[in-house]
Amino acid sequence: MASPTVPRVSRVRRQLPTSPWLFAAPGLLITGAFILYPFVSTLVNAFTDRRTLIPGQFVGLANFRELLGDEMFWIGLRNSTLYVLGVVPALVVLPLLLALLVQKNIPGITFFRSAFYTPVVASIVVVGLIWVWLLDERGLVNSLLEAIGVGRVGFLSDQWLLLLSAMTVTVWKGLGYYMIIYLAALANVPPELHEAAAVDGAGPVRRFLNVTVPAVRSTMVLVGALSSVAAFKVFSEVYLMAGPSGGPAGEDTTLVMLVQRTGTGLTGRVGYASAISVVVFVVTVALMLLVLRADRRDES
Amino acid sequence: MPVSRRALAAAFAVCVVLPLSACGSGGGDGIAADASGKVEGDITFQTWNLRANFKEYFEGLIADFEKKYPGTDVKWIDQPAEGYADKISADAAGGTLPDVVNVSPDLVAPLAKAGLALDLDKAAGQYEKEYLEGAWASHRIPGMTGTYAFPWYLNTGPLFYNKSLFKEAGLDPDQPPKTYGEVFDAALKMAEETDGEVATLANVPTIEDFGRYGVELMNEEGTAFTFNDAKGVELLARYKELYDAKALDPQALTATPESSGKKFLTGAVAMNPGSALDLGNFKKQAPNLYKNIGITDQITSTGHVNMYVMGVMVNAQTKRTPAAVAFAHYVTDAAHQMSFAKQVAIFPSTAGSLDDPYFTKEDGTDETRVRVAAAKSLKNAVNYTPVLFSEQMKTELRNEVAKALQGKESPKQALDNAVEACNRLLQQQG
Amino acid sequence: MSVIEKVRPAASRPAVTREPRVTDEHGRRIRVWELALRYLLLLAVLALTVGPFLWQLSTSLKGPTEDIFSSPPKFLPGDPTLHNYERVADTIPVWDYALNSLKVATANVVTNCVGAALAGYALARLRYRGRRVATVVFILAMLVPVEGIIIAQFTTMRELGLNNTLIGVVLPGCVSALNVLLMRNAFLNLPYEIEEAAYVDGANVWQRFLRIALPSVKGTLAVVAIFAFMGAWDDFLWPLIVLSDPSKFTLTIGLNYLHGTFANDERLVAAGTVIAVAPLIALFACLQRYFFRGVGEGAVKG
Repeated sequence: MASPTVPRVSRVRRQLPTSPWLFAAPGLLITGAFILYPFVSTLVNAFTDRRTLIPGQFVGLANFRELLGDEMFWIGLRNSTLYVLGVVPALVVLPLLLALLVQKNIPGITFFRSAFYTPVVASIVVVGLIWVWLLDERGLVNSLLEAIGVGRVGFLSDQWLLLLSAMTVTVWKGLGYYMIIYLAALANVPPELHEAAAVDGAGPVRRFLNVTVPAVRSTMVLVGALSSVAAFKVFSEVYLMAGPSGGPAGEDTTLVMLVQRTGTGLTGRVGYASAISVVVFVVTVALMLLVLRADRRDES
Repeated sequence: MPVSRRALAAAFAVCVVLPLSACGSGGGDGIAADASGKVEGDITFQTWNLRANFKEYFEGLIADFEKKYPGTDVKWIDQPAEGYADKISADAAGGTLPDVVNVSPDLVAPLAKAGLALDLDKAAGQYEKEYLEGAWASHRIPGMTGTYAFPWYLNTGPLFYNKSLFKEAGLDPDQPPKTYGEVFDAALKMAEETDGEVATLANVPTIEDFGRYGVELMNEEGTAFTFNDAKGVELLARYKELYDAKALDPQALTATPESSGKKFLTGAVAMNPGSALDLGNFKKQAPNLYKNIGITDQITSTGHVNMYVMGVMVNAQTKRTPAAVAFAHYVTDAAHQMSFAKQVAIFPSTAGSLDDPYFTKEDGTDETRVRVAAAKSLKNAVNYTPVLFSEQMKTELRNEVAKALQGKESPKQALDNAVEACNRLLQQQG
Repeated sequence: MSVIEKVRPAASRPAVTREPRVTDEHGRRIRVWELALRYLLLLAVLALTVGPFLWQLSTSLKGPTEDIFSSPPKFLPGDPTLHNYERVADTIPVWDYALNSLKVATANVVTNCVGAALAGYALARLRYRGRRVATVVFILAMLVPVEGIIIAQFTTMRELGLNNTLIGVVLPGCVSALNVLLMRNAFLNLPYEIEEAAYVDGANVWQRFLRIALPSVKGTLAVVAIFAFMGAWDDFLWPLIVLSDPSKFTLTIGLNYLHGTFANDERLVAAGTVIAVAPLIALFACLQRYFFRGVGEGAVKG
């Protein structure tokens, strides 16, 4: 394994004083102009009663006060939180196992890797349609369950099963996505570590726990952070499985669905929806801090 | 962060500037309402998902218009089915709404309130008599004077039922139910005979169902909803009975029109409302069902069936008011509506068009039978969905209806809650 | 040492198959039972991941006389035909839309790879005042719920005069915060030592970035490229809102025309989804080997 050649070009350090900012500038500029700046207007709107086509007036904390008494808001908060708890552990562990499974270059592996990635690239609308069809009262899954004597299950009519079904779809669709993040990370794990462990007589499970996991720990944290933020902001899967009104009596509504429902369209209550957006933002920031703190504690 | 204060100031600028541009000319104050000038200039015409199948029709129509009025240039843009309301919202808020826009009544109402839809009573009142009375009225908005879009095509349709499912349940496939009472009885029988395997209805009642059942939906001034009256409660109580007996599909609480349509196609549900268009669809998608299809009249207790209305609106801020009004009228006049109706199974909203032999003469086919029956019923059809009934209100009603069906609330309680929530939203719409 | 060199001949050249020696990425032989178990697992996951997608493919191949809503459903088309694909091309200018999508997606890949690599490197490796703030900016940007800001984004774009342009479609996502953080993570995982050696040798920051750091994170760069391509290719709502002129529409919007106003043809819609997804799978199949080549080429072994 040859070390990459180190360029011995110039001995003169011509490091521009501004270069670090130059590096970060394109990213910061775009992010600032098209993500953060629009979000600041959301922050401002949260304190107004603005509607899509009608300018708002400053109403102080009225939107937030209304949130506290809005039953749907609490349902949304509950469901988004449940989603994080249900989906994140699966998305941290399963894609790693999948990555290990496809890491070895055995014949045909290219095909399998690409195939495992198809759920990621398939559009969520199509995925939703297919799963609804599978989990339908008379769908494939229920036909199988009936054949083995379990009987039909109302995956798409019970509020909790609906949420669980949506989580399954999220995990199913996310497997390939996080798998490739893990693959990229696993590629950086020096094989010597595994060899040394194998020589010491460690079995596959021990090697996984003692070599692989520590080596990809920072990636696991990253995947944990990414998937928990995505899970808290879940929209499409629940929207497609439970319908636009959020399942029976709206019991499956998530917070972002509520943002969409109250805030979009020509009659949208932009101010109120912005207040919910702000709550979503604050919670995801807290989630991120939590993950990072857990990471730091692990490290020490 | 040093950035934040400046960004905040800039954001304030956006919030202040944007509504101004959105509401340039207040509702129908006549600033841009002068349509009497010369018909000339460039205008943009936006349709809703019509390009894929009717490209030639619209290109021909535009070419004819440009020939009739030299000096005009119509740019046609067509938007896909999904996200239309989002697209219009962004354009309306950003001041980039096209000059002539294909709209449905629920889209017109907020645009008119924001002063973005031209009042046609003022700008084009002379054309009113060319259209069916009910169709012209469907773009009036309670609480405002004026009419804010030309009526375009209409649609309505029969109730389809699956004859073989009827037969299996011991119901007479040639004697379909004709009243709400008969539908409910047939549904209960179907559920009983099939042990809850086959439901008869796939959808929970929507606002138009309440309307057709004879419930007063709004007070006369259009300032408050009233569908929690005794009749409304009665309808919901009947549905609860159906739901408990599985005569209403268990997945109805989460169904969409697409999903219930599919359930009918697969034979999981015995009845489904539809239109003349669906016949062709059945033939293509589910030939086996098509052989067993039964067709009956839309159920209504008021003597008026429900209809859907499409409209063509003129942007109040257009720089080319005469051309925009002339074109909107051109698209929706009797001759062009008639030729469009012959392209696809929809119905013209112009007076007298429905008396055309095309809509009155039977030729023995199912398609024609459905078309003739629908045309006949359209003459006094009603668009039951109030124009002020927003998407948010639909969701409120739907969720309260679901609570009643699940037994979490009594039908009365549920409708009271729904009315209260919808009235609050109505207030907030301003 | 590259894995690919060792295994690829076995897969592609029949001459070697006489001696079926399958090795893992470390050059060790894999036992037969272990290999069998692996394939068994792979096939099981395969059924779960592509099964639903094959259903869509099958629907798109079904002829006009076939009942696609029969119960129980039929998995294989009775009389496979490509007619539905021809009809898609007849109904909408699918090639024009695909070309627009390709432009947008390619631009998105380039800007994301360049922008995210630069910014990621700055966050991971460079020392300057405000580095923490810059990192926080990207983290916060990732947390912003996009559903709430789309109209504000549109207004900004209109003020810049970029509405109804493909540039307007690309711009908001052209350096995504997530990709910046992915790159930062990749750079952070590189050992410091070689860069220090280069530093001592007098290489300036650009040289260190281009010749040492960047080649070592090719795997992550490939991931960013895929995410960027996929994101741009699949996006629906934003292009719809920015673009007005149908001649500029991207494939996702264009294919939405297949959902009829008056009646849906499931076969046509299915053919459309296959058209939309096929290039993505092809791209992934092409790029995925780079994750592994990354080991051979850039690997830094102390």
